[in-house]
Amino acid sequence: MRLDIRYTTRFRYGAPVAESQNELRACPATDPHQWLVHYHVTTTPSSRVTSYTDYWGTRVDTFGIRAPHDVLEVVAEATVETGPRPDAPSSVPMQALRDQAFMDRHLEYLQPSAHVEWGPSVGSAAQACADAGDVIDVVYAVHHHVAGFEYRTGQTYVGVGVDEVESQRAGVCQDFAHLAVAMYRELGIPARYVSGYLFTVDDATGADSELDEVEVETHAWVEVAIPGWGWLALDPTNSQNVGERHVTIGRGRDYDDVSPFRGVFSGPREHELEVTVAMRRLAVEPLGERLAAEQSQQ
Amino acid sequence: MGDLFDDYDREGFFDEVFADPGVRTHYQGVVERLRRLSPTDLERRERIRDGIFRSAGITFTVYGEDAGIERTFPMDLLPRIIPAQEWEVVERGVAQRVTALNRFLEDLYVGEQAAIHDGVVPRWLIHTAEGFRREAFGIPVPHGARCLVSGVDLVRDHEGTYRVLEDNLRNPSGISYVLENRAAMTRVLPVAFAEQHVQPVDHYGPMLLRALREVAPPAAGEHPVAVVLTPGVYNSAYFEHAFLARQMGVELVEGRDLVVDEHVVHMRTTRGLQRVDVIYRRIDDDFLDPVVFRPDSTLGVPGLLSAARAGNVTIVNAVGNGVADDKAVYAFVPDLIRFYLGEEPILPNVDTYLLWEDEQREHVLDRLDELVVKPVAESGGYGMLIGPAASGEEIEVFRDRVRADPRGYIAQEVVALSRHPTLIDGRVEGRHIDLRPFAIAGESVEVLPGGLTRVALRRGSLVVNSSQGGGSKDTWVLEDDADGTGGR
Repeated sequence: MRLDIRYTTRFRYGAPVAESQNELRACPATDPHQWLVHYHVTTTPSSRVTSYTDYWGTRVDTFGIRAPHDVLEVVAEATVETGPRPDAPSSVPMQALRDQAFMDRHLEYLQPSAHVEWGPSVGSAAQACADAGDVIDVVYAVHHHVAGFEYRTGQTYVGVGVDEVESQRAGVCQDFAHLAVAMYRELGIPARYVSGYLFTVDDATGADSELDEVEVETHAWVEVAIPGWGWLALDPTNSQNVGERHVTIGRGRDYDDVSPFRGVFSGPREHELEVTVAMRRLAVEPLGERLAAEQSQQ
Repeated sequence: MGDLFDDYDREGFFDEVFADPGVRTHYQGVVERLRRLSPTDLERRERIRDGIFRSAGITFTVYGEDAGIERTFPMDLLPRIIPAQEWEVVERGVAQRVTALNRFLEDLYVGEQAAIHDGVVPRWLIHTAEGFRREAFGIPVPHGARCLVSGVDLVRDHEGTYRVLEDNLRNPSGISYVLENRAAMTRVLPVAFAEQHVQPVDHYGPMLLRALREVAPPAAGEHPVAVVLTPGVYNSAYFEHAFLARQMGVELVEGRDLVVDEHVVHMRTTRGLQRVDVIYRRIDDDFLDPVVFRPDSTLGVPGLLSAARAGNVTIVNAVGNGVADDKAVYAFVPDLIRFYLGEEPILPNVDTYLLWEDEQREHVLDRLDELVVKPVAESGGYGMLIGPAASGEEIEVFRDRVRADPRGYIAQEVVALSRHPTLIDGRVEGRHIDLRPFAIAGESVEVLPGGLTRVALRRGSLVVNSSQGGGSKDTWVLEDDADGTGGR
């Protein structure tokens, strides 16, 4: 699926601010399941944007604006092509998780981290999913546990603890991702937090056809390491496997490693923040079929 | 007539000055001089010393004592003397260690992590080190001089063997005392000093500045601009920051004096902005850049890491060095020396026990009253247990701490640190000492002759850290042709 994405962050300050320095993590990754065709960042006021790849493999765009300004607008435009993902294996024995080399390789995704510190309530919820006896079954038991929670905005903020999410049985995608990651780690299943975009049906108009632009939000989901197979991506918020409509930006231990925007500025703190994501499906044949067609012509 | 050293008792320790038939050769000249001083003469010289330090304004705040108390860091009148051939070994050993640690850090942050892949250091140990800064990944440092300034703490054991106690690779302090002690000593004991042909230390400022310029980014051109970045006057080592800036003839700045524009660092001056190429920062990683680290830090420079990553400024010491002076990683340094340099370590470690393996941990917990236990990420002697000097209650506290966080602590055999005669209330008594030589790495590694000898002033104490209320001695490394007797 070929998708156009326009991610806009707009700060309106109460009074002019200056010397702002920022980091943006909004660029779709290129990996076996998706391919970045085009990416461009524009800032207003204008600035020189430089990029690097961070420890976690995410592209980071950094820029600073020294001159006083009332509004800062950052627009990241991307075109990305996503492909289907393979199905998970049907069965993997639990003892495969105890393999020393496997554990050592995934240590960073097995331990608590800043937003994934859990207590007894998350611990016991996770253990209740462990009866399944097979890695794949346990993975889906946790997934369905979290997927059963109510999506509710306004209740939570980035700093909310996973135990509170578990007891409220409600939250937003970040909360569900953090909770699922915590439960997996409790069970010794390496799990990481994924930040990205999800192309969905427009709630208001139902639009999903080609070339219709859809307003969405940034999204978060989870990847778990399946021994001997690889990373399996699951979206507990939508109770589904991650597929062609999901666009990955980056992966890390939790939100802090992939937070879309970090910045400081000098001036009064008061500001309004508006974040919008517009996505559009482009009319092209799937990459696989196109390549096959090209090959048959040769 | 009795003299200063008549009642001196070595009490079975390795003594720097006295050996079995008497005074060690390299101390004979100085001991002779001191023997000839009357008590009043000694007192007078102590007063001169106090005056020098007071007027220089040298203070060192001790954390954990009453806030705001500033006290001088007392220099003992009796210098520590190291003969040339003994120093030569220390110098080579420290340079070897710093070279290997720089290779290791370079490999971790911009290399292939060969030491991990080849199993020299466990991956999990690195990934759980507090000082491992993923944010520093990929930031280049010219010549790989990540530890540009290192302070490697050495002790001598009961046989007089120099051993490495810990590496200080983040912001080692104390060099200002080395230079001030020397300046004071040449005035307090001018004749004794002049007789001894002591290797100079007063070129430290130029030596540091040269290395800072050597690591400037290529874009800096012929005349790179270096600054010293301090957290400000309330920092316990502010005196040293100001001192170093003065020694090098460069600006002393705080975070708010610097600004990043288009990924280039500038200093605000009365004539506008001036480009800065190298920052000798004495601010901890956590506070260095609020965009990347603690967002509430007002001490740092927003955008600094981005500028460093773009190759427009070099941060000294490099960000993330704490992973290599983690005290559990310390235990692997001899292996890192073999791995990166293909050499045997010249200076051995102190015997160290890692506590995450059940058997070793239980063995250590049975012997807590005989061992030293240290938290892995602290420096300055904070939060440690000295078993033989601890109460039963303190030992139980550490037993719980170690059980709760085995990765967070190491245990070491107690080293019977060498002692040195020290003036205590007009008498000479033996006190335990250590040595912190300072190594500077630019294009190559150079070690300043001597370093800071720290003295545990409390009788019997093994804790020499200045932050724990220790004292210091001027440290004389003799020239090749000098034997210490004062003649040639």
